[in-house]
Amino acid sequence: MTAALTTPAAPAAARVPRQWRWLARLHRPALICGGTLVLLTAAALVWLGGPLTDASAAAWKAYNACAWDKVCRYDQDAILLYKEVYTWTTAAVLAVPFLVAAWAGGALIGRETESGTTRLAWTQGVSPTRWLASRLALPALLAVAGSGLLSGLHRWAWTAADGRVDTAKSWHSSATFLAGGTVPVGLALAGLAAGVLAGLLLRRAMAALATAAAAVGVLWAGVHAALPYLWPSVTRVSSLREGPVGSGMHVGEGVLTAGGGRATAPCFTGRLPDCREDLADVGATAFYRDVHPAAHYWPLQLVATGILLAVAALLAYAAFRVVRGTTGTARG
Amino acid sequence: MTVPALEADALGKRFGRRSWALRDCSFRLPAGRVCAVVGPNGAGKSTLLALAAGLLAPTEGTVRVLGAAPAAVRPRVGFVDQDKPLYQQLTVAETLRMGADLNPGHWDADTARRVVAGGDLDPDRRIRALSGGQRTRVALALALGKRPELLLLDEPMADLDPLARHELMGLLMGEAAAHGTTIVMSSHVVAELEDSCDHLLLVGGGRIRLSGEIDDLLAAHTRVTAPATADLAPHDVVESRTTGRQLGALIRPAGPLPADWRTGEPSLEDLVLSYLRNPTAPALAPAPETTEAAA
Repeated sequence: MTAALTTPAAPAAARVPRQWRWLARLHRPALICGGTLVLLTAAALVWLGGPLTDASAAAWKAYNACAWDKVCRYDQDAILLYKEVYTWTTAAVLAVPFLVAAWAGGALIGRETESGTTRLAWTQGVSPTRWLASRLALPALLAVAGSGLLSGLHRWAWTAADGRVDTAKSWHSSATFLAGGTVPVGLALAGLAAGVLAGLLLRRAMAALATAAAAVGVLWAGVHAALPYLWPSVTRVSSLREGPVGSGMHVGEGVLTAGGGRATAPCFTGRLPDCREDLADVGATAFYRDVHPAAHYWPLQLVATGILLAVAALLAYAAFRVVRGTTGTARG
Repeated sequence: MTVPALEADALGKRFGRRSWALRDCSFRLPAGRVCAVVGPNGAGKSTLLALAAGLLAPTEGTVRVLGAAPAAVRPRVGFVDQDKPLYQQLTVAETLRMGADLNPGHWDADTARRVVAGGDLDPDRRIRALSGGQRTRVALALALGKRPELLLLDEPMADLDPLARHELMGLLMGEAAAHGTTIVMSSHVVAELEDSCDHLLLVGGGRIRLSGEIDDLLAAHTRVTAPATADLAPHDVVESRTTGRQLGALIRPAGPLPADWRTGEPSLEDLVLSYLRNPTAPALAPAPETTEAAA
């Protein structure tokens, strides 16, 4: 008798967009705010990489052409404006993963677990794991699109200024490195997964928000600290007279000894008599410096992003485990 | 043989390391019944309903809903939580549209609209602007619109004024009668359920104290007044009190009673209160086979 009322479940393909539609409806204000922030930052980056870089480069060209005996005329405002906009847009790009994590922990999941609307969502005709999948998939897509656009534009703007704007940041300065390339995308995804997991476990919006943002902070610091060791560095050897040479991201430096070993350098130039004596005391034959040249930019970016994606995947897997364990839902 | 709507076997749920919310619960609820889950606050009623709704996983034992694991029959079971959680930022109409979207293939828009319309609710009002009673109405509309075979309601009437309570109870009973829906509703107010329910689950201290058809349960118990010296053995004594030379007791007779005892049938509230006052009274939960035979 009762079986007649049962209707076969709609195919999964038809169900996913429905979930997404309501997800988008529930978080409309956040979508609008986030979208606006991304577009404004993107516009600022385009402005930075285009007109501002050109103006600043022209100013630097004028400045460098100045002869010292005459009054030098160059557009100082253009140089300062470039610096200012570069600093703020970089900060905005760096903030994206933190915002994603805070939103995911606080609004996306934390508010639902705190207010109990998960109990409403999990007793509709859609399983809790599908609910979670929709909560991860659509925000992940948007996070990749948003952070990808911004970090791509940031890298483009930096490249446009490289070699033309004398005060442009080097490729390996922390903020510049972590705001460009693919690392922001990895951080944003890891932040999303951290927020979702925190929301499920803590069941309190504010606590999940803070925990998720802190987790991104830890990952950020971790990437920053581990970065020099994520790809084999190149060793530059130089004579004791020259001192250590090699530009790029420094990993370590010191002296090579007669025995072929490495030692800490007591000082860094063989031109001073005192230093020469000290170097002779440790048996130094040459200076060495381990560096990442600019060519290592992408390998370092990709390895760091890979690690962040693995962290994101682990956190997402844990979130599924939590939902399955809580509700006794098998796979599916 | 029909599949029971709800069946628990040695069901237990522990929160944290040692606090058992529910332990060793076994009962069987035949389909088509309106079942009251009664017990004091914190007795384990909400835990029992959440286990049946597939919101919690049992720590031990099993619960089967419509003959399957709770997670497997989500589309066929409706659930209304004690707090009536709803998305505050949606309007009433949007909430119902969401119900339609998230329950594809088995959504009854007319029923859902009817439940909401009874409350004179503006469909464009946001949920956050509704009163507690109005929110209950929307939550019930969402659960009924799903056209469930089993409806699990946790303290559904707590926020309602007597008029709305009467109207919504009537609506629920109408649905149950029209579609053969099994309804399980918890409450700590027995009087609220007496007229509507035909089955009782009394939960106390995390265990099932009474389980069965209300008529059978009432018939199994007798309120007796006997001389203070009377020996109540071999009957099961739920509660007894001596006042002066008289002994008043609620018992489950194990055989014929002496002619000089005055006897009467207890009311449902009387029965429930006697069990709740006496946590050590022997539980009466008929073995599943007995229930099956009676059904």
